[in-house]
Amino acid sequence: MKKTYYLFNAGRMSRKDNTLQFTPQDEEGKELPPKYIPIESVSDLYCYGALDANSALYNFLGKSQVAVHFFDYYEHYTGSFMPKDYLLAGKVQIEQTMHHVKKEKRMVLARLFIEGAAFNMLKNLRYYNNREKNVQPQIDSIEQFMEMLHGYTEVDELMGLEGNIRQCYYQAFETIIDEFTMGNRTKQPPSNEVNALISFGNMMCYSLCLGQIYHTQLNPTISFLHEPGARRYSLALDLAEIFKPLLVDRTIFTVLNKKQLQADDFRIELNRCIMKDAAKKTFVKAFEERINETIQHRSLKRSVSYKHLVKLECYKLSKHILGVETYKPFKTWW
Amino acid sequence: MYVILVYDIEARRVGRMLKLCRQYLNWIQNSVFEGEITEVKLKELISRAKKFLVLEKDSIIIFKSRDEKWLEKQIVGCEKNKIETFL
Repeated sequence: MKKTYYLFNAGRMSRKDNTLQFTPQDEEGKELPPKYIPIESVSDLYCYGALDANSALYNFLGKSQVAVHFFDYYEHYTGSFMPKDYLLAGKVQIEQTMHHVKKEKRMVLARLFIEGAAFNMLKNLRYYNNREKNVQPQIDSIEQFMEMLHGYTEVDELMGLEGNIRQCYYQAFETIIDEFTMGNRTKQPPSNEVNALISFGNMMCYSLCLGQIYHTQLNPTISFLHEPGARRYSLALDLAEIFKPLLVDRTIFTVLNKKQLQADDFRIELNRCIMKDAAKKTFVKAFEERINETIQHRSLKRSVSYKHLVKLECYKLSKHILGVETYKPFKTWW
Repeated sequence: MYVILVYDIEARRVGRMLKLCRQYLNWIQNSVFEGEITEVKLKELISRAKKFLVLEKDSIIIFKSRDEKWLEKQIVGCEKNKIETFL
């Protein structure tokens, strides 16, 4: 399995002897001894620090099919360098578009995405409910919302329902997390520690999904639940819905309740909360560990990592689109 | 598959071997590399190496293990290059 590399340190990445050479810089801008990264083992690069690079490097990365994701100082996702599409399939493209345009077909998929997402959220809540955190009221109301799922006929209404479910779900965070309070979910900018973590984690999940979609025939811009906008990969948002509870939220609970992150890992600036560099590193490490965790897959009968599950989800989606097999959203079965 | 690759190659050709190995594995010490690699990629590495090696004089040894966790690694003295994905 190819690895993801996370670049926190400022430095220069260059092409050297047909592989990658990273020359980190210390705080004073002095160059440290270079590190070589075996190109054959790289799946993508995540850039948090200042990265120097030239077009020769990007040509090389493009050829080696390595994507680079960039994040700004406030840990917002700013964009990706995506290598040229290499898995082209006109048929999938056409069918995917058809599934978006035909309302009944689109509703089917949109509904399934919400169903999967809500199921995984409930699973999280039940887990904590069994561990002396009383989140029963939230479980009940999400279940009620779930029953309304089949009554709706418009995608907008489904998005609204999704919003309601998520609001309920986030209320439960207050109970689950020991040290911190969350209050309302705020983004742009996140107002407190938990909100900052959720934003950061969601964005990690989003880039993960995008990275995996790239390795399938699906077109990342045509989505079903979210409205496909310009300049964004909205299919990644759809997929991320299903995996956020499993990958992001569970990681947040772990790092906070195990006190891997504490109040002094955050900085409160003018009505916004920012994670310090060390905190980002800790969280990304925990996230990386989480997505590399393996489980025994029931139908494949072998162990697969959570990261690979995302790709399997893409395969299921393409099968649905081509009419081979009806899509079943991923639901945690353990 | 997780491998440790060591080579003993005449000085004239050693640079080429070093550069080739850097593309596939992590350098850990002079003439020693290790890392996760697939069966096919390892074959590719070997066949590319054979193109410039003189097989009567040079030698490469590859230690294979199914997974990194079956490898117990003990370091005495300094670790020359830590293998990390967080840079």
